[in-house]
Amino acid sequence: MIAKIICYALSGLEGIPVEVEADVNKGVPSYDMVGLPDTAVKESRERVRSALKNSGLLFPMNRITINFAPADLKKEGAAFDLAIAISLLKASEQLLGAEVKDIVFLGELALTGDIRPINGLLPILISAKSHGFTKFIIPEGNAEEARYLGGAEIYPAASLGDVVRHLVGMQPILPLETRMFVPGQHKKSTADLKYVKGQPIARRALEIAVAGGHNMLMSGPPGTGKTMLARCLPTVMPDLTFDEALEITKIHSVAGVLGEEGIVTERPFRTPHHTATTVSMCGGGNKIVHPGEISLAHGGVLFLDELPEYKRSTLEALRQPLEDGCITVSRAGGTFTYPARFMLCASMNPCPCGNYGSADRICTCTPAEIRRYRRKVSGPLLDRIDLQVEVDNITYDDLTSEEVNEDSSAVQKRVNEARQIQRVRFEGTPIHTNAEMGEKEIQEFCHLTREGDKILRDAFERMKLSARARARIIKVARTIADLDASEDILPKHVFEAVSYRLYDKI
Amino acid sequence: MYSSEEKTVIYEAAVSGNNNRAGLAAIRKGGGLRVLSKEEDDRTAAFLSMLEKKGIFLVTFLSDDYPESLKYASDPPLVLYGMGKRELLQRRKFCIVGSRITPPWAEKVGKRLSEEISEHFTVVTGLAEGGDAAAIAGALPRGNLISVLPCGIDGCYPAAHAALKERIAKEGLLLSEYPLGTGTAKFSFHARNRILAGLSEGVLVLSAGVKSGALITAGKALDYGRDVFALPYNVGISQGEGCNGLIKAGAYLVTSSADIFTVYGIEPHRTEEAATEGDESRILKYLREQGETHVAALAEALGMRIFEASAALSALEIKGLATKTGGNKYSALS
Repeated sequence: MIAKIICYALSGLEGIPVEVEADVNKGVPSYDMVGLPDTAVKESRERVRSALKNSGLLFPMNRITINFAPADLKKEGAAFDLAIAISLLKASEQLLGAEVKDIVFLGELALTGDIRPINGLLPILISAKSHGFTKFIIPEGNAEEARYLGGAEIYPAASLGDVVRHLVGMQPILPLETRMFVPGQHKKSTADLKYVKGQPIARRALEIAVAGGHNMLMSGPPGTGKTMLARCLPTVMPDLTFDEALEITKIHSVAGVLGEEGIVTERPFRTPHHTATTVSMCGGGNKIVHPGEISLAHGGVLFLDELPEYKRSTLEALRQPLEDGCITVSRAGGTFTYPARFMLCASMNPCPCGNYGSADRICTCTPAEIRRYRRKVSGPLLDRIDLQVEVDNITYDDLTSEEVNEDSSAVQKRVNEARQIQRVRFEGTPIHTNAEMGEKEIQEFCHLTREGDKILRDAFERMKLSARARARIIKVARTIADLDASEDILPKHVFEAVSYRLYDKI
Repeated sequence: MYSSEEKTVIYEAAVSGNNNRAGLAAIRKGGGLRVLSKEEDDRTAAFLSMLEKKGIFLVTFLSDDYPESLKYASDPPLVLYGMGKRELLQRRKFCIVGSRITPPWAEKVGKRLSEEISEHFTVVTGLAEGGDAAAIAGALPRGNLISVLPCGIDGCYPAAHAALKERIAKEGLLLSEYPLGTGTAKFSFHARNRILAGLSEGVLVLSAGVKSGALITAGKALDYGRDVFALPYNVGISQGEGCNGLIKAGAYLVTSSADIFTVYGIEPHRTEEAATEGDESRILKYLREQGETHVAALAEALGMRIFEASAALSALEIKGLATKTGGNKYSALS
């Protein structure tokens, strides 16, 4: 008898349906697997055999053929175990009366018959749902992740025995209850701007950067709180929407870094070390392509501490994803596209000794050393960083103004208002934030008053800025005007925007 | 184009390669000139046409436009290789130097001084980073700049300034006493400094440590009877010890270009100060009274929001009235 069971394979963030067909014939006992299974799938034979035996079921001693369709797709990983076991049971007539059509089986088997959780469950469920499947049997360990997917019957099973009892109607498993998404519910980060001492200028830059989706660079001597400030970035970003959260969760699920809570409820903050390779940053792998740090930072912040210490090739690889918001990686196993719309925040010292430009300490670096240090960060990358701000080592004990004592939620409120203005402005275009504006949008949305325009011309004349620097200053000025709820960009907005350019002026 | 005497000088100093010291010394004294043989004359002509193809001209000791003041330097060069605007040699010249490690504020002050001085003088300097670069940045826009190299005129030291060198060759004047292809040696910087001092009526030192090359230029200037000017520094800043030492020894203390112009009887430079209003005026007044101040402290003292203060400061910076001195601190420029 032939049995057909539906399972899913993962290609990037897309689930692809795979039919597992089992045929049990009379003849010399044998076990063949066809349809491009990789080693992990082939090894399932032993796991399935033991799991069946240890669940009190029979492993048919006949001529067995397992086929995976479509035959041209490489099948990888251990997620097929459960489907293979069920197909064998069905084909050997141990599941009489059970209806297995239209159910998607997912899970890895342990020798005891227990079902182990798998990576990438959520993207599979989302794809399968869009393909019209509504019934799923999944590992109990993945239940939290699946709980947020509404409109489907999802049965979490702890062991193969449970699945069999459920299917034959002896002991049905209760379907998962759908849970509502609450942003920030599983907060792990304890960062908050109220713990940052002083740094009013960097705080302001942070607010502007988040409000307009700009990338930022902090320059300053070691130990002045650059990392601490960066950690606060996700806390002032707008709360995640459910769709965003699902997309981030999909990536984290595929990469296997999803926590126990099963869904990402706060914006990711990734800090790859400066020894990171290009592959770990952008994604890659031998056959399966794993998402890299920039994809794991999707929807959140990628923080590069000590920017010039990173390998140049690694930094250069970031340029294209910074423009496109996604990365396409090609490997022998196929070509995969992962989303990578992140905010880049970087920090660096002004020179190798850290004291260049400091008012009270003397820099001991030679000009050649400083040049060499700065040259590690290429112009084109610096061009994509709209805000550059100096972080200093001043003590603020005697300062009382409210700006140095605000907490993240107050800043987030202003950010949300500025983002709302942008949402209305860019309605019906693929653009979300001011930072993504091109020349056309700049002309359309960035009205300068006549006075503002004249001042801007003077400034560019005097500071000898490039056309590209001009565009960036206008974009930042637009965001500052949005924070000010001003329709026009006023001279003061332009002046403030100019003050956030450090490395054009030197 | 070159007289036969000049050709003899060129042959002896640049073409023959036999380094006839006695003969060269005699030329400096106004004698020792002989008529070149046919073969020597051909070689000189070939050499000159080779230079011309490269856009290089030669100024000899006997040329009409050889700077008179340089003749009184020690061991004046018999030939100078030049690229760019030759007429600059005839103008009044003033030298601005500084060590390679010059604090950012001194670079900004130096740039402004150089800009103002270049109205009345051709600014003479080297091609290094720091003080030299500040002088170049100030004077180059007006094209009133001579840069003297410590290597052959086809070389570039530091190599990072190659593009800058090209610009000077177009808009200003490059000079070198060394044959093409000569690299730098320890002594060539000292030797170059004697030309800097020799060309100029005065020398302004923007920054100098205790053992800085800028001090050598100042020392040569004193030897030749030129005026020496220096920028004052705070006590305890090593990059300024040489400057303060010069002032102690009697150099003119310079805080504005007027300090230099009065020495030469030139009407002081007047910039009509860019108009300021409201917050900008208040901030500028505060900066002038208090000196260098952190943005946050300034905003606190004047009761402003910090980002308003940084916007106004940025406006002042664009207008050239204030400067960022590092670590988010600002000070007034005049």
